[in-house]
Amino acid sequence: MIFSGPKGIFVRLCIRGGLLELVTLGFYRFWLTTDIRRHLWAHTSVGGDPAEYTGRARELLIGFLIAMAVLVPIYAGFFVLTLEAERIQAFASVPLGLLFYVLIQYAIYRARRYRVTRTVWRGLRFSMGGSGWGYAWRAVLWTLFAALTLGIAWPWRTAALERYMMQHTAYGSLQGEFHGKGWDLFKQVWYLPLVFPIALILVIGLPVIVAWFRAIEYRWWISNLKLGDVSFECDIDNGDLILPYIMVWVWSAVAGAVFFAVVVGGSFGIAYAGFSEEEIAILMQHPAAIAGFAGLYLLLAIATGVAMRVYLMRDFWAKIVSMTEVYNLSAADNVEGQGELASAIGEGFADGLDIGGF
Amino acid sequence: MSADAPMLAVFYDGASNRKHRVELQAGEKLDIVEDGVVLDAWVFQDIRRVDGDMALRLTSISAPPLARIDIDDAATAERLNALLPKTEHLQEKRQTVRIIGWSLAAIASIILMILYGIPFVAERLTPLVPRDLETRLGEAVDSQFLSLTGAKTCSGIQGRRAFAKLMQKINGGHPVEAEVLSLDMVNAVTLPGDKVYLFKGMLEKAESVDEIAGVMAHEVGHARHRHGLETLIQTGGTSYLLGLLFGDITGSTAVIFAAQSLLDASHSRDAETEADDFAVEAMTKLGRSPVPLGEFLKRLTGDQTATILDSHPVSSERLARIRQSDVKTTGPALLTDAEWDALKDICKS
Repeated sequence: MIFSGPKGIFVRLCIRGGLLELVTLGFYRFWLTTDIRRHLWAHTSVGGDPAEYTGRARELLIGFLIAMAVLVPIYAGFFVLTLEAERIQAFASVPLGLLFYVLIQYAIYRARRYRVTRTVWRGLRFSMGGSGWGYAWRAVLWTLFAALTLGIAWPWRTAALERYMMQHTAYGSLQGEFHGKGWDLFKQVWYLPLVFPIALILVIGLPVIVAWFRAIEYRWWISNLKLGDVSFECDIDNGDLILPYIMVWVWSAVAGAVFFAVVVGGSFGIAYAGFSEEEIAILMQHPAAIAGFAGLYLLLAIATGVAMRVYLMRDFWAKIVSMTEVYNLSAADNVEGQGELASAIGEGFADGLDIGGF
Repeated sequence: MSADAPMLAVFYDGASNRKHRVELQAGEKLDIVEDGVVLDAWVFQDIRRVDGDMALRLTSISAPPLARIDIDDAATAERLNALLPKTEHLQEKRQTVRIIGWSLAAIASIILMILYGIPFVAERLTPLVPRDLETRLGEAVDSQFLSLTGAKTCSGIQGRRAFAKLMQKINGGHPVEAEVLSLDMVNAVTLPGDKVYLFKGMLEKAESVDEIAGVMAHEVGHARHRHGLETLIQTGGTSYLLGLLFGDITGSTAVIFAAQSLLDASHSRDAETEADDFAVEAMTKLGRSPVPLGEFLKRLTGDQTATILDSHPVSSERLARIRQSDVKTTGPALLTDAEWDALKDICKS
């Protein structure tokens, strides 16, 4: 597999998208997400043939609106239920939060289905069936089990859920399959929770440990994927994702420092200009000052957003794609099309419930 | 490459992923020819560009949706481009100006809803909410409040009797349930469902019955106007709309929080003024001057400069407003000295 997307174009795309998000207070996100996916998909070739993303921003917008129409009554109903529970016993409503966990799992499945069915290669789309609710209750049971075992069962949870997803995925008539074992993942990551407290103390150690874990997980995931007789092998090294993580960290710190310097510098400037304490208090509360501060803050947020998209989306993608080898690709010749397009409602839910992702 | 060199391409028919190595022949239509057999012919007007990491990738809106022609060779792509009259990209043409325009319209409508719509709805909706529901709501808030603060209700018998007598005088029409809580904070709160709590800290700071009576009348004013419920409806609606507005811009939570506190503070300053007016009226009816309430507040908070983040109007402003009523004390004392002493000791047993 080859990724050939020029970084400059992607960076420009993110900066422009971030600024438009600012102007439209976030409504532009559907277009930006679509642009990012189109860029990543189009520049990824398998066997010399680039993929294509056929999703539309408008679909995402409509999916979001539909999800909102569903989520509003759910939030209202949740509110009434909470009320009744709290009346009987304070904080009795906490388990009701589980409802949202179920919804989030449902959204994760449906969002993946949307992306999979919008992926086209050699004039044929991928398909994904199965049921979002079927996935959601499995995820809930596995999470409970993982919680009971203090997280030890988490790799097995990941394996089981991925198996469910891949069982329902296909490329034309090539059936998807996932044969990763929880034990294999566990063997590679068991020590990470133990190192975690030390990483926390070292602060900078945290991104390193996350990057380490992500690399292991990606390698394990991709190397266990199959589509019919086509199989994949990912050779990414444990340390390969550390640099992008550190870069996000550095850029966010730089952006934060600039923001801080401007605010502090501005305050000093005002103090130097010889205003009285009261005048400064009034000046600070001037709508223009507050709007300026808020604008500056949002600019900082956008800068961080750009860094995250460039390093954690694009660079991750580029690294993983370039380290992945496809075997037996000839099995994917002359495949007949099948499967239907899935709606973007799942993505809408994911958006409404604040779940990130590609 | 000469102009009549064959234009070679790869064609996918959209039904299977079989690679057809074809030659494109431009005539009336674009003929797609494999080994002398015409597989398909695309009308030039229907041909669109799509994403792909090669020289050119085409589809046709009148062909199956996933049918594609891939052209790898840059020279061929250039020749083809010249043949295709004004081909557009299949993706919706990015009318950024239109997206921005509609977004701004949506933002304007949400902001108008927050500033005028929701307060209006909350005000109109509050009287329509059944008392029963509000009581249930109050009980839920109450049990959470008590378990969070760990407060106990003070139960000195003489004190309770005095407090009940005081509340009886202030209450008038429909009764408000009031208790003294063993909390050192200098405060008093009104929960939805007409429940008023006076904190021990405030009781200790008071120098006369009239001061406490004023505070309680103020709280009863909140209850009478059902401010707790109104705030709840308002906060719920506003935070929902703000969330919708900012979507998932990274770090927007802080902005939402800031906007929320600004809006809440301004709503609650209005509510405080309403409650003060009620207190003035209640004290006037009892023949007592409301001025001690104002002075008490000023004594508690001292002089400050107003900020837009304050949830309460500044005490000196409130005192000035209360003074405007210009009511002199003419009626009898609200409690006897013995009763006042008992009330002050209500948390001692």
